[in-house]
Amino acid sequence: MNSSVIRAGLGLAIIMAVAVAGAVIISCASAKTIRIAEHRQARIEALNKSIPIIEKQLGVTIEVVEYPAPEKDYMSKLLTELGAGNAPDLFTANFDSDVADLVSAGYLAVITTEVKAWDGYGQLFDVAKRLSTRADGKIYALDSMLGVEQLYFRRDLLDKAGISTAQPTSWKDLLDRAREIKRKTGKYGLLLPAGVSWGGGAFNEGFALFVPGSKTPQIANDDGTLNLNGEGVRDILGLYRSLIDEDLMPVEPLLGPEPWMIPKYTMFPAGDLLATTCGTWCYIYDWGKESKNPVPDVTKNVGTWAVPGMNGGSSVTVSGRNIWAVNAKSAHLVLAKKVLLALSSVEATVSYARLLGNIPARKDAADNKDFQALTELVPVLKSVDSGTFLKSAPGFSVVSEGIARATEALLRKQTDAAGAQAILVKYVKDLLGDNVVK
Amino acid sequence: MAMTYETRVAWQQRMLLVPALVLLVCFILIPAAAAIYISFTNAALNGVAAAHPQLVGLKNYVRLFSDDGFWNSLLVTFCFVFGSSIVGQFVLGLAAAMALSRPIAFKRVFNAAILLPNAVPEVVAGFIWISMLAGGKYSTVSRIVGLLDIAPQNWLQSVPLLMIIVVNTWRGIAFAMILMTSGLSAVPTEVYEAARMDGATRPQIFWRITLPLLRPTIFLYMLVSTAGTIAIFGLIYTLTRGGPGGATEIIGIYIYNQSFTAYQLGYGSAVAVIMLGVSVAIGAVYVRILKVRV
Amino acid sequence: MIGVREFPRAEATAYGFLAVTLVFCLLPFFWVVLASVDPHASLFLSIPKGITADHFIRIFTVENGGRWFFNSLVTVGAATALVIIVGGMGGYALSRTEAWWKRPLLYAIILVRVLPPTALIVPLYKVMLIANGLMGALVRSLVPADSVRSTMQIFGFVDGYLGLILVLSAMQLPLALWIIKTFFDLTPRDYEEAALMDGASVFQRIHRILVPLALPGLAAAGLLTFIGAWGDFLMPLTFISSADLQLLPIGLFRAFQRANTIDYGYLSALALLYMLPAVVAFGLARGFLVQTFTGGIKG
Repeated sequence: MNSSVIRAGLGLAIIMAVAVAGAVIISCASAKTIRIAEHRQARIEALNKSIPIIEKQLGVTIEVVEYPAPEKDYMSKLLTELGAGNAPDLFTANFDSDVADLVSAGYLAVITTEVKAWDGYGQLFDVAKRLSTRADGKIYALDSMLGVEQLYFRRDLLDKAGISTAQPTSWKDLLDRAREIKRKTGKYGLLLPAGVSWGGGAFNEGFALFVPGSKTPQIANDDGTLNLNGEGVRDILGLYRSLIDEDLMPVEPLLGPEPWMIPKYTMFPAGDLLATTCGTWCYIYDWGKESKNPVPDVTKNVGTWAVPGMNGGSSVTVSGRNIWAVNAKSAHLVLAKKVLLALSSVEATVSYARLLGNIPARKDAADNKDFQALTELVPVLKSVDSGTFLKSAPGFSVVSEGIARATEALLRKQTDAAGAQAILVKYVKDLLGDNVVK
Repeated sequence: MAMTYETRVAWQQRMLLVPALVLLVCFILIPAAAAIYISFTNAALNGVAAAHPQLVGLKNYVRLFSDDGFWNSLLVTFCFVFGSSIVGQFVLGLAAAMALSRPIAFKRVFNAAILLPNAVPEVVAGFIWISMLAGGKYSTVSRIVGLLDIAPQNWLQSVPLLMIIVVNTWRGIAFAMILMTSGLSAVPTEVYEAARMDGATRPQIFWRITLPLLRPTIFLYMLVSTAGTIAIFGLIYTLTRGGPGGATEIIGIYIYNQSFTAYQLGYGSAVAVIMLGVSVAIGAVYVRILKVRV
Repeated sequence: MIGVREFPRAEATAYGFLAVTLVFCLLPFFWVVLASVDPHASLFLSIPKGITADHFIRIFTVENGGRWFFNSLVTVGAATALVIIVGGMGGYALSRTEAWWKRPLLYAIILVRVLPPTALIVPLYKVMLIANGLMGALVRSLVPADSVRSTMQIFGFVDGYLGLILVLSAMQLPLALWIIKTFFDLTPRDYEEAALMDGASVFQRIHRILVPLALPGLAAAGLLTFIGAWGDFLMPLTFISSADLQLLPIGLFRAFQRANTIDYGYLSALALLYMLPAVVAFGLARGFLVQTFTGGIKG
């Protein structure tokens, strides 16, 4: 036989032997490993701090898998893997609105009994309990932390320009305030996340905040239908339209990738944007201690307004953060669920609070010394239960994408509020069926 | 069953074809057929449809026709293919081939320089052009056109479609040049001699003699290049991800976004089927023109 | 070739045009070369104030660059080998076989070549999912539970070496088949006929005669396959998720996505490293391609 063939054959055999040996070596080292998906430097850091404690507590090895940082890419990759059946054991959902669809796709394991038997359950805020529990009473994902969202503004710059910093009393008042900002300072007056590039932000961090104060206070009905055809939705989109058409909010960055970077991390600290929706994390992650471009003396110079209702009243929306869930196809279900509960401990959640600024969803966090050091967050923890929250339901990820597309059309100045609502309704109807939309 | 030696040899030869056919059928033909099937369902990556996809008939196609995003993508793809492949690469490639057919020095250097953009992987090409284009007044292009008194700008934001046409032209000159060179070399010099004897000027020689004789080569180039350009994904995805606002969302990126970012696998497949149809049409024309030598 | 003396002005135009084209083609590369050795590299073109090999070193020590390089080499290398073998056999058969189905088959192969990968990606993903499920069941029944994951990393169809290698091969196969077929078309059958007369078996013929004969064609096809698979971005993007299995193009892409903390020096060093094998292969391929199409082996 040809010597080159012999050599090729030998080479192939060696490669295969190495591969098999490698597999064996890797497998010997793995023992019981729980894989957790996490993305973004700060979050991974926060998670890594809790890992050694949990590993020792439960006698397990934990491997943190790094996922793409932007929320949208994170979700795409996660869903692709969930569909393939090789997703990690534990992961977070980006928003409460994502959970319902994850459940109906069959990706999440039920954790009702484990959560209710957990000693932390009694410590959970009411809001957290209600956000985590689905309509049929089952729990598939645990809101271990909460974000409190409202409007944030540059108190120092508004004072300097002589603009009132009082709580806006209606949408008209809010809009007038933004117009005044533009008139007196020439800067952008109010940013609401919008557009397809922002992913879930257009809905969850923008649109949804105005829903409680609109003519349609809840979108999800108990019978599974969605209130999208009413005046409330159109009015909120009208608010968007005014802000965009009157050049009160930056538009160009929202059309490109990572749209929040310039407005939130550059414009707001620089004073080119004076008000925006945001959450408690902004005091720490976006503009505070952990920020790369902080606002000096942030708690004094950045104030908060509750989101005004359309014709009065106001609301502060509470939504889930660190919404941990277990992969239904995990090889170590029991262990993964234990790790999930461990990740919802006071220590673990305070670790995230310190680096990211969200609030642990537990009352006993108030007694934790490390948390008490986070002076920006302590008062918020006390008032969490008074916030409103948006009921979510299956189909919400479609609504979220629909709002992203509707606001995108507004950003590109292609249509008006009614037209944007039509885009939303058409999209949801196309995907979920005509009878779902009311 | 007695087979003659010749028949046995012939069969053995055909068996050699089997592994290749298996690979092609499994990984290209079956998915192509599956694409057609999936386009009739509401398969998705998330939600109820992920667990239980259902047949929905022509719904995805109906949605296609009323979807602005789809038509926008077709328009963008058309402009992109026309601008970079049919105009940009061809003109520059032909000019380069003609220039290099003359006796000039440093031929190897010019040759290598023109080939280099084609040799690098797509992701790297996209990446180095970001340095050229992004960043407003700091980008290389801004600095260069600054010398011509044009305002520096964020090129990928202000003229995104034009920019991806430029980048793809840069990338593809080599292929056009190679084809045109081989076409030019097939033109016998006697033809030129005769023309010059008759007193033809250079432009006349070019338009009346060179171009017509190059026609089959040009045709071949157009077909292969068009098919190849429609299929581009990585280069543009790295540069712009299809943005801003869909301005550079060529059809490949549109399909990817619908399938993996909006999670609508069924809809993405419908668009893919349309794209497959277009490609097969182009391929059929290609085959006919070439009169494939069997 | 148009004579020099008749049109002297044409020379100047040619030089001018070529010079501009040269600058146009090479300009974008200046940045990546300079930034890869610049200790203070940024996204923008600038003359480095010092030279450092740090970035290249970091690729292998700090980041996963070594891993990415290894994964790319293994998968693309295996795919190239597979294509050379399968395509070599197939191209030979296509060239030498006479049959009624030969013309339609060749047409089909051309058509397959023009199919855009993005159009195939979704159904291909689903097909691979099914295959992966089957493989997973097989592996789970043969291998202890804890090593299932690592075995699947090698043999899995989704997020595994095997699947990616097969997909990369399939994508490059049509072109390889075409090149090898063309090569054999231009090669006279004398040697094979002689071997046949001597009663050699198929395998003997392959080893002794055909492979040495076909080397330029195989080399051309192999190199083009390598370049194509090495640059493939969509397949690894879709099918590989684990960090351990990532390939160079995705590593490069993801590192660029890190928003706040992009290290451009490191990125350009990585890009250069990624670029080099492709450029080298391209240079080599040209020679072999010329050899292939100007008549294979004569006489």
